[in-house]
Amino acid sequence: MSDNIIQTANLWKTYRDRAAVRELDLHIKKGDIYGFLGPNGAGKTTTIRMLLGLIKPTKGVIRVFDKDIRKDRMDILRRVGSLVEYPSYYGHLNAVENLEALRRILNVPKSRIAEVLSIVDLTRDAKRSVKGYSLGMKQRLGIASALLGQPELLILDEPTNGLDPAGIQEIRELIKRMPLEHGITVLVSSHLLSEVEQMASRVGIIREGKMVLQDTIANLHSQTGSSIRLTVSEPEEAMKLAREQGQFGQRQGSELTFPYMDNSAIALLVRRLVEQDHAIYRVEEHRQSLEDLFMRVIGEGAMV
Amino acid sequence: MTGRALSSDWLKIRGKGIWFLVFLAPIGLTLMQALNFGLRLDYLKGIYGDNLWNGLLENVIVFVPLALMLGATILSSMIANVEHEQGSWKQLLAMPIPRPAVYLAKFLLACILLVISCLLLTAGIVILGLVFGFNAGEIPWIQAFKLGLLPLAGALPVLSIELWLTMVTKNQALPVTLGIVLAITGMFSLSISPSFPLAWAQMAWNGPNPFMYAGMGLAAGILIMLLGMMHFGRKDVA
Repeated sequence: MSDNIIQTANLWKTYRDRAAVRELDLHIKKGDIYGFLGPNGAGKTTTIRMLLGLIKPTKGVIRVFDKDIRKDRMDILRRVGSLVEYPSYYGHLNAVENLEALRRILNVPKSRIAEVLSIVDLTRDAKRSVKGYSLGMKQRLGIASALLGQPELLILDEPTNGLDPAGIQEIRELIKRMPLEHGITVLVSSHLLSEVEQMASRVGIIREGKMVLQDTIANLHSQTGSSIRLTVSEPEEAMKLAREQGQFGQRQGSELTFPYMDNSAIALLVRRLVEQDHAIYRVEEHRQSLEDLFMRVIGEGAMV
Repeated sequence: MTGRALSSDWLKIRGKGIWFLVFLAPIGLTLMQALNFGLRLDYLKGIYGDNLWNGLLENVIVFVPLALMLGATILSSMIANVEHEQGSWKQLLAMPIPRPAVYLAKFLLACILLVISCLLLTAGIVILGLVFGFNAGEIPWIQAFKLGLLPLAGALPVLSIELWLTMVTKNQALPVTLGIVLAITGMFSLSISPSFPLAWAQMAWNGPNPFMYAGMGLAAGILIMLLGMMHFGRKDVA
């Protein structure tokens, strides 16, 4: 028994001789919003399709709710809502009919349709045929479909793909509410870290089918280094002075860049410089963003 | 489970022109005979004598196997397309419903729609005969029912093949082409052999032992449907 909602061990999917997913170990805990990140074609959708039993793994084990997907697929799917890649819908039907078609299979009460429509704020357009919906509305209908069966786990594959900034913001707010208001664990994939950063509690980064990093957002933030940049009037001499204090930096024109220093070290260095009649124009801290880290992590692989 | 899937499918085929087709085929066949008998009623009366009802059935049956096979092809393609069109397979199959139930529901849906067409044809023929003043006391009800339903059983293998192909491939060009080829081959299949499978739809009416051919069609159709269901159950969903 574990508190993992989703757990995969040594998961592989190979197409002919190309491995779309390899050695993937995924751990998603209850109440997480798990950001599943990776560039296009890294194997995110393939992994998600395997989690839903749409395709069979070549090798490895998938456990969802601590049950084996090969044996208890129906039990698992009863507790999962999903939106894979692009929204699926029946264009000739309106939103209520679309949801009704799914409801008849799920066998949930009719009132659930109105509930999910109001969650995704589609109540007003519910009677229009879905053909005429904007992409954002179709995406929201997709989420409504995923929520229809009152799932405990929501799997959303690139739910913000192709949306405008307002649409992205809307979907993001919607996802953030899921664990809080409905107690739902969420797996959300994306190729943009910035998109996931603001809602996910944990992220996994996949590259060429392989998990390269899996950690909490907080830990990632602490890993991103920062540097201190000084702009001074006499850089050469300032460098010498800093070296005497045990700070080794690099000079670029009149700019000096030092690795991270704590407050007292900066204060001391600045005092010494001022005492020596240096003019200090700027003291800046340059933080590396998560995006830089992400690019570094997925970039490393591209070189190999 | 199959019932739930069927009830869902029933809703999904709304407004896709499927019902239009279900009505068009039998009404079309009836109107053809209206023209045939309307234009040369006296001549045909001379041929069939007292047996006008039977003459009418004989004229209709010529087109029934062809219409059934084409209908099975087009209906299968339309039913499958409801899911293909906006990539709904992945959504449907990620729901807590066994894939065989999904497959069986689509098969039953196609069967029900074809049966409705056949029954409409029966009704159409009887109405047509009465309009032309055939003897109302001699309406050959049993024959008129058999006219559609027995060839349908004989043509079931074609439906099973078409349903399988249209459901597992997104591109409908191949299954539709194949369906048309099968239907046309079926027209000439009696000259190949009465036991040739595509001839069963005709033999199920014309043959010496129609129920045997209908039964063979039914058995082969169900067998092919089960094979298709097994394949559908294990295939990867793109």
